Amino acid sequence: MIEREQSMGWLITRRFFKHKLAGIAIGVLAILVFASALAFVAPYSPTDQEPTNSFQKPGIQHWFGTDELGRDIFTRILYGSRVSLTVGLLSTFLSIAVGVIVGALSGYFGGWIDTILMRITDAFLTLPTIFVLILLAGFLREQQVPWLQNSVLVVIIIIAALSWMWPARLVRGLFLVLREREFITATRALGGSHLRIIVQHILPNCIGPILVSGTLQMASAIITESGLSYLGFGVQPPTPTWGSILSTAQNQVFRAPWIAFYPGLMIFITVMAINYIGDGLRDAFDPYVIHAD
Amino acid sequence: MRTYALRRIAQSIPILFIISVMLFFMVRSAPGGPLTAARRNPNISKEQIQALEEKLGLNDPLPVQYGRWLHDMLSGNLGDSIKFHRPVNEMIAERIPNTLLLVGISFLVTLIAAIPIGVWSARKPYSKFDYSMTTVTFIGQSIPVYWLGLGLIIIFYVTIKNPVTGNPFFPVGGMNTQGRSGDVLDLLWHLALPVTALSLGWIAWYSRFLRSSMLDVLHEDYVRTARAKGAADNVVYYKHALRNAILPLVTLIALDLPSLFAGALFVETIFSWPGMGRLFWDAAKGRDYPVLLGVVMITAVLIIVCNILADLAYGWLNPQVKYD
Amino acid sequence: MKLKLLTLFVVLGLILSACGGGAQSSGGQTVTLIIPEEPTTLNFFMADAAIVRQVAEATAMTGLATIDENGNYVPVLAQELPTLENGGLSDDYQTVTWKLKEGLKWSDGEAITSDDVRFTVEVLSNPGSGALVGTSGFDAIKSIETPDDLTTVLTYSEPYPGYLDQFAYGLYPRHATGEPSDMANWEWNRNPVGAGPFVVSAWTSGESITLTKNPNYYEEGKPYIDSLVFRIVPEPAAQTAMMLNGEAQFQLWPGEFKADYDKLLKGKATQHLIPGIWNMAIDFNLSAPFDGDPTAETPHPILGDIRVRQAIASAINYQSLQQDVLKGSVTDSTNPFAYGWYQCDLPRKFGYDVDKANQLLEEAGWVMGDDGIRVAKGAMYAEDGTRLSLELQGYTAFDPLQLTEEFIVENLKAVGVEARIQNYDFSIIFGTYEDNSPRAIGDYDMLIFDRGFTTEPQGYNFDAYHSSRIPTAENPTGGNYFRWVNPEVDKALEVAGSNFDIQTRKDAYCTVGQAVIDDMPQVYLYLFQDNYGVADNLEGYVLSTWGSMSWGAQNWKYK
Repeated sequence: MIEREQSMGWLITRRFFKHKLAGIAIGVLAILVFASALAFVAPYSPTDQEPTNSFQKPGIQHWFGTDELGRDIFTRILYGSRVSLTVGLLSTFLSIAVGVIVGALSGYFGGWIDTILMRITDAFLTLPTIFVLILLAGFLREQQVPWLQNSVLVVIIIIAALSWMWPARLVRGLFLVLREREFITATRALGGSHLRIIVQHILPNCIGPILVSGTLQMASAIITESGLSYLGFGVQPPTPTWGSILSTAQNQVFRAPWIAFYPGLMIFITVMAINYIGDGLRDAFDPYVIHAD
Repeated sequence: MRTYALRRIAQSIPILFIISVMLFFMVRSAPGGPLTAARRNPNISKEQIQALEEKLGLNDPLPVQYGRWLHDMLSGNLGDSIKFHRPVNEMIAERIPNTLLLVGISFLVTLIAAIPIGVWSARKPYSKFDYSMTTVTFIGQSIPVYWLGLGLIIIFYVTIKNPVTGNPFFPVGGMNTQGRSGDVLDLLWHLALPVTALSLGWIAWYSRFLRSSMLDVLHEDYVRTARAKGAADNVVYYKHALRNAILPLVTLIALDLPSLFAGALFVETIFSWPGMGRLFWDAAKGRDYPVLLGVVMITAVLIIVCNILADLAYGWLNPQVKYD
Repeated sequence: MKLKLLTLFVVLGLILSACGGGAQSSGGQTVTLIIPEEPTTLNFFMADAAIVRQVAEATAMTGLATIDENGNYVPVLAQELPTLENGGLSDDYQTVTWKLKEGLKWSDGEAITSDDVRFTVEVLSNPGSGALVGTSGFDAIKSIETPDDLTTVLTYSEPYPGYLDQFAYGLYPRHATGEPSDMANWEWNRNPVGAGPFVVSAWTSGESITLTKNPNYYEEGKPYIDSLVFRIVPEPAAQTAMMLNGEAQFQLWPGEFKADYDKLLKGKATQHLIPGIWNMAIDFNLSAPFDGDPTAETPHPILGDIRVRQAIASAINYQSLQQDVLKGSVTDSTNPFAYGWYQCDLPRKFGYDVDKANQLLEEAGWVMGDDGIRVAKGAMYAEDGTRLSLELQGYTAFDPLQLTEEFIVENLKAVGVEARIQNYDFSIIFGTYEDNSPRAIGDYDMLIFDRGFTTEPQGYNFDAYHSSRIPTAENPTGGNYFRWVNPEVDKALEVAGSNFDIQTRKDAYCTVGQAVIDDMPQVYLYLFQDNYGVADNLEGYVLSTWGSMSWGAQNWKYK
C-alpha cells in the first residue's frame, strides 16, 4: 500500500514536471520565497529614509529606484512580498479549510444539512464581492478590538470570508460522487465512523482538485489584496505590501513610474507563476492528458 | 419551466433577506457614521451635528432603523441619500444603465474572443497555437485590472498619439466628448479602453475553461461516434462538442457575475466612468449608508436575476434537463 | 500576436477618432475644470465638504460682499460695506444697514431685492433648515427692516464681529427656492438661481456639471468665457494626463509636486501654490492613557514630563520634512493661529537639534537601551525599565499624512524614541466619546492630524484649549483632548470671547499660541498650501486662500 502511494506521488510529480512551464514557475516562486526570506541581507532596510535622495531612477545603487522618502524600492518589495505571499497563502488555506468542512458535511450527509449549508453558500455567492470586501474591511477595523487593528489579519480574514464558497461547492460535488463508490459503501457497511470515512477514505481522493482550485484561489487572493490596498482598504502603512506600495505611487505615475511598475510586475509574475503551477497540477492529476512531446 | 422560474424566485427571497440583515447591521453598527466629516469641520458646532443626527433618525435603536428601512425598501423606496438629499432610487437609476453598458459590452467582447480561442486550443491541444494562447491568456489573467487600466492610459492616451492630428487615440474621461452625448460612435470610442481593461482577464479565464471543457467533451462517446461516422471537423467541433462544452460555461458565468462587478469598480474609477461602482465607492468614503445599502441590494438582486436567467438558458441549451 | 493586437487597436482608434472625437464645436469658449469627486449639492450652506464650494462659487455664491485675495472684505452686490464712517454700522455696533446696487437681477431675470436678504436671514437663522456651515451670527439678528427694495436694516441683539462675513457666501432668492425648513429638498440645491456669473445647464451624475453664462450677470460684458465644464475625474493619473493633452484647463489639487508638475506640463500648464488652511500638528496626551480615566488627573508616564515633549520637538527635522519629503508643498507653522486676522507669527522654541533632544532625554532620566530605544532610569513618572515607546495615531488613506508619520518615526528613532504608527479610519479618529474614539476617552499617546480653518476662531479654540472642555463622561463633547490645564490660557480665551476689539482679541489668541509653544501640548509641523494646475493659455484668474477654484471665474479669458 505504502509503496503504491509513493509511486503514485512520484507519477504525479513526474507528470507535473513534464509541464515545462509549470516547472519553471515552481522555480520562479521558489526564488521569490527564498529572496523574501533573505530580505534582511539587502543593503538597505525597508524603513531607512534618505529624503534628499527621493525619486531616484532605477540604477546600480537602487535596482528598482527609490520612493518619495528615498527608500529603496527593491528592498521594500522584498519585504512586501513576505506580506503579500503570506496573505495569499493563509487566506487560501483558511478559505479551503472552511470550504472543505462545509462541502464535506454537505456532500456526505446530504438532506437538510445539505439544504441549509448550500442556501448559505448561495447567499454568499450572490454578494457583490468587492462591495462587501470594502464594507467588511471598514467594519472589522472599526471594532476597536486590538487584534483586529492588525490590517494584515483583517485582509486575510475578509478574503477568506468571501471565497470559501468555491472549494465548498467543489468538495460537495466530489463527495456526492465519491460517497456512492463501492469502497465507501463497503467501509460504511463494515461500520466505519462517519468522521473516519470522510477524513481517511473520501478526502484523500479529493486532494488533486482541491490543490488545483487552491492555486486559483491563491492567485486571486493576491490580486484582491493588492486591489484592496490600492483602494486604501487593505494593508495599512507602514507595512509594505505590493498593493500598498502601488497605492502610494498613484500620484507619481508620471514623476516616478517605476514605483508603480515594479510592484505591479511582481504581482503579475507571481500570479502568473501560480497559474502555471495550477495548470501543471491539473495535468498531473488528470488521467486523460497525453503530452505531445 | 415557468413554475421552475417562480420557485427559484421564491427561493431567492430568504437569501435576499439574510443579505439585507447582514449588510444593514454591518454598515450601521460601525461608529462614526455619515456625519464624521462634519464633526471634523471646525465651522460646524457639535449642537448642529446632534440636531442633524436627531433629524435623520440616526439615534434610534438599530432594529427600529432596520425595520423602517426594510419597510421602505419593500414598498420600492430605498430612502434618501444623506449627502445628496436625493432619492437613492433616482441616483441608482442614473447609474445602472452605464454599468450595464460597460459590463455588457465587456461581456460580449469576452465571449466573442474566448469561444474561438477555447475551441481552437482544444482542437489541437499542446500545439504551438495552444501553447501561445495559454501564455497570452495567462498574461491576461495575471494582470491586476487597475494596473492594466493605468498602463492603457499611459500607452494610448499619453504616449502614442495620432500622427496626423496629434490627438490621443482614445479618450480616458467619462462616456462622451463634451457636447456629443447620445452619439453612439463617440460612446464606443470612449468604451474602448475601459472594455479592454475589464475583459482581458475574463477572456483568459473563459477561454481556458472552454478549452478544458471541450477536451472533456471530445473524450465522450458521442463525439467519437460522430467522428467515426466521418462528420467534418468543423461540424464535430462547433455542432457537437461546443454545444455541450458551453453548458458548464453558462453556469460559471452566472457564478462569476459578482467578480465582474468588482472589476467594474476599478475600471469605473480609473476611467471616470459614471457607474454603480463609483457611486458605491463615493458613498463608502462618505458613509452615505442609504446609498451604500441601496447599491449593494440592487446589485445582489441583479446577480440573482442573472443567475436565474443562466439556469433557464442552461435548460434551453440542453433539452435533457428537466425542471421538475 | 501582441503586435497584431496593438495594430488592430490603433487602427480602431484611428477610425473611431476620425468619426467620433476631434473637433469640439459647441460654439463659444469653454473652460474645462477637473474635480476629483462630485459635489453633493451646490448649496454652500448645506455642505460639509470643500468640493461643493469649488463649483458653487461660480454660480450661487455671489453675495453682498466677498473676501479678496488679500483677505479684505469688498462689496459685491452691496453698494458699499457698512462701516462706522459711512453710517452703515451704528455706534453701538448693533445696527447694520446694507444697500444693494441698483438694477440687480437674479439669473432668471427677477429683480434682487432687500426681501431676498431678509429671506436669506430667515433661512439661515432657522434651526430646522439643515444648514451646516456659515450660520453663526444669524441667530443674533433680532429684527430686519426693509424700508425700500434696496435697503436692509439688521438689528443685532449683541455686537457681532462677523457681520460682514455672514453675507459673503451668497443670497437665497425667495421666489425660486422654497420653505426654509424644507431646504434639504429644494430643487434649487442642484440648479440654483443665483447672482453669480454662471448658471447650471447640465448635471450628469458622476460625470460632469456644465455651467453657462448668466445673461443677467451684474458686471457688464462678463463673464468672458461662455461655459465652464466641471469634469469629475477620480484617478490622479488621468487628471494630469487630461491637462497634458489640453483636454482640461484647470485642475484642482494635483497630486504631483509643483516642480515635477511644471516640468511635465512645460508650455501647457503651471501649478500654483497659495497658502492653505490645514494646519498639521502632533497632539500629546498629557494624562495617563488606557487607565479608564479620561480626566487630567494622572500624568502621562512618558509625555507628562515636558522635557520629553521638548525632546520630541527637537528631534523632528522640520526643514527636511517640508522641503525634501513634501517638496515645498507646505509652509512652516508653529502655532494654531496661522492665518486670518488673528495670525500670530511666533518663532519655534525647539527647532531641529538632535544633540539637544538627546540631552533633554538624558536629563529626564531616559537612558539608551541595548536595542537603540531608551529606557527609564530615574524618570519623573515612569517606572525604571519602561521603554520609551509611544503610539502615533493618524487617519488612513491620506498620502501626505502617511509620509509625515513615516518620516517622524525615523526622526524619533534617531534619538532613541520608538513611535509605532497606528492609523484608524477617519470615523474613529474624529469619532465621539460615545463611540470610544481614542482621543475623546484619552486612550492615545500621540495623535497626528491636520485641523482646518475658521473665520471666527473663538468656538473652536475655546473648545480645544480651555480646561473646562476636557472630555469626560459628564462632558462628552469636550474638545481639550490633550487634557491640558493652564489657567493663563483659560483667562486669555475668556478675554478673547468677551471683547469686540480686534487687537485685544488677537493679543489674547497670541497669548494662547505662545502658551502652546511653551507648554507644548502639541507640536505644529506645517501648514498645507492649496494647489491648482492652470493651463498657460488662460488668464485673468486670481487664486485666493479665501476663495475656491472658481472664485472670480467671470474674469477668466483665453490669451
